[in-house]
Amino acid sequence: MKRLGKLINEQGIRTDGRKIDELRPIKIEAGVLKNADGSAYIEFGKNKIIVAVYGPKEVHPKHMALPDRSVLRCRYHMSPFSVQERKNPAPSRREIEISKVTREALEPALMLDDYPRTAIDVYIEVLQADGGSRCTGIAGASVALADAGINMRDLVAACAAGKVDDTIVLDINDEEDKEGQADMPIAYLPNLNQVSLMQVDGILSREEYGKCLDTAIEGCKKVYQLQKEALMKKYFGDEVDVGGSE
Amino acid sequence: MQEIKRKYVVPGDLIADGNVRPVSNAVRIGDKIFATRIGIAEVSREGARVIPLSGVYIPKVGDLVIGKIIDHSAMAWEVNINSCFPGHLPAQDVFGREFSSARDDMTAKFRVGDMIACKIAAFDRSRDPLLTVADKDLGKIPKGEIVRISPTRVPRLIGKRGSMIQTIEQSTKCGIIIGQNGITVVSGPTADGILLAVKAIKMVEEEAHTANLTQRVKDMLQSETGEKIGQID
Amino acid sequence: MSRKSNVIVEHLRRAQMNELLAAGKRLDGRGVTESRQMKIETDVIKKANGSALVTLGNTQVIAGVKVQPDKPFPELPDKGLLICSAEVLPLASAYAEPGPPDEDAIELARVVDRGIRESEMIDLKKLVLVPGEKVYAVFADVSVLNVDGNLFDATSYAVVSALLTAKLPKLEMKDGKVVDTGEIMKAPIHTIPISVTMARIGDMILADPTSEEEACMDARVTMTTDAERRVCAVQKGGTGTFSVEQINYVVETAISKGEEIRAKIKSVTGSG
Repeated sequence: MKRLGKLINEQGIRTDGRKIDELRPIKIEAGVLKNADGSAYIEFGKNKIIVAVYGPKEVHPKHMALPDRSVLRCRYHMSPFSVQERKNPAPSRREIEISKVTREALEPALMLDDYPRTAIDVYIEVLQADGGSRCTGIAGASVALADAGINMRDLVAACAAGKVDDTIVLDINDEEDKEGQADMPIAYLPNLNQVSLMQVDGILSREEYGKCLDTAIEGCKKVYQLQKEALMKKYFGDEVDVGGSE
Repeated sequence: MQEIKRKYVVPGDLIADGNVRPVSNAVRIGDKIFATRIGIAEVSREGARVIPLSGVYIPKVGDLVIGKIIDHSAMAWEVNINSCFPGHLPAQDVFGREFSSARDDMTAKFRVGDMIACKIAAFDRSRDPLLTVADKDLGKIPKGEIVRISPTRVPRLIGKRGSMIQTIEQSTKCGIIIGQNGITVVSGPTADGILLAVKAIKMVEEEAHTANLTQRVKDMLQSETGEKIGQID
Repeated sequence: MSRKSNVIVEHLRRAQMNELLAAGKRLDGRGVTESRQMKIETDVIKKANGSALVTLGNTQVIAGVKVQPDKPFPELPDKGLLICSAEVLPLASAYAEPGPPDEDAIELARVVDRGIRESEMIDLKKLVLVPGEKVYAVFADVSVLNVDGNLFDATSYAVVSALLTAKLPKLEMKDGKVVDTGEIMKAPIHTIPISVTMARIGDMILADPTSEEEACMDARVTMTTDAERRVCAVQKGGTGTFSVEQINYVVETAISKGEEIRAKIKSVTGSG
């Protein structure tokens, strides 16, 4: 399925010029949509994703509501122009699976018990995809959920690591995803040191597995700093003096 | 004087060590206290809390809220109170115990599209909030401009002992009703006064997290109206 | 909140709106034929052949154009394919639900498509490789990101801007197979259609309505005109009506505003 190519040169530089432990350029902006309760725009390299959160809100149909907590619903969707060959807008099986694992990655961080009989909807729209879009989506969703003011135990950071040319590398791009040997997207709650998303596609030895996981988690920690910065920037701007009391 | 440590936080930020009590928007995990919302963390001997800067309005019994009538059944009006739950105003609250849907016309009192000032009479985790208009100054709002702000900014708009809102009212000669749910109604004798009051409200919403806001709002109002604002305390 | 609630504009606000309209002004201070501030950014999705992000007031949409070789329609063997579609993403408003497009979303896509197709904006005859067998298929897809009224115009301007700035691969046939020559060409543009949407509230006709105005309107009409001041496509919507006099006014306004907006789009897209 995956082929060894010359994806890393003799100097340890990858096809897009990065070193093996380097993240792609990341951009995160919180609060970009007017109607949504919370939102974020995020880029990992060429991935461009926009996320909206609506909630907590009334559940329709009413019988779907839970008496003691909120219902979390996630939709990961790709716009038709987001990939090389134009994609039919109807949800594919891949999108449905990613929607599910995304929800399962975010749920442990959310304090859903605080909002009984409500729903929280997370909508992730991929405007341009380039390998690692599910991690980009989860990282953006986390910022959007915080922007919406939903109680969270922690932010959820996400990043993928993989094996390419027998080397463990951080944050694989589209080409490495297609031509590499293994790929491991991870979502991570940094303050609790817990993993909430883990998938592996490919072959990893026992040692490679541990190294891949550690690499992805280190990537997550860097993503987390950028998520924090995006939120601090929107809410506190350049303020240094903590006001809001008189 | 009590020492209060304050800092800007996002969810998951560490705000105190285990021997402090989490009061609101803070959670104990292991032996540490973390923030659960974006806002301003305050840690004192009383405990750790975060004053949130975003989030939907969750009803609290006794709160004054401004709502919009959106429907009615035979026995109650359904009211949009800008929350994750619709409010219900029982017809009996208005017509009395002897209310009969055959005889009393609900639409004569409140129609879909009316704005009302009401209080949260009852609310808990198992049911939608129950509203009441049976109090002074509650009921249909006949006129005014509706200004919506984030419910998290309402305490700041009111200010310490009402200082912020009184400053704005005095300077613009407007009356401002503030719903805890983030809906406010501004009414006054001049269009300019209303515009200025709206500007001041939006300024408070925008800068709620900053220091010296009351002074800056005062300065803005003074420069717009050319009138000095008296001492308010 | 209950789904009905925001679509209900409170009486206080309606009264304010009517008072202002009587003086020819709107809630946001605009005149009746004035459009909101519009921002167009093109080439925002590099993987697509063309793209445009349009912000019209608070309404925000993004269009992407993808070009691929395909089979033509059997009844149109000598024309390339142009397929416009639009999706109001659940991102865009509390009332947009995930799922297959509802009648409003379908109407939106078809009206935008009609405006572009009937005006013959793209000369589809120039996008043929082998008549009856292989043609260029141009997909223009729009994702609506934030709803605040007038999706028709925002969507149309996004598709038009994306098509004007699209970089198409120059394809040719070699040994019965489609081959990308590696050269880039522009879409064969024949005219620039501009859609103008107006809403009737009482006796007033307002251009570029906001969500609030649409919630109070009796009826609306979207008219697309080309560079020769001809009407190419019209859609009346809403459960109210228009008088003949009002329709004449709408045609005049659509033509004159059409020229104004065409000039703006030409300048932004460098189609001078």
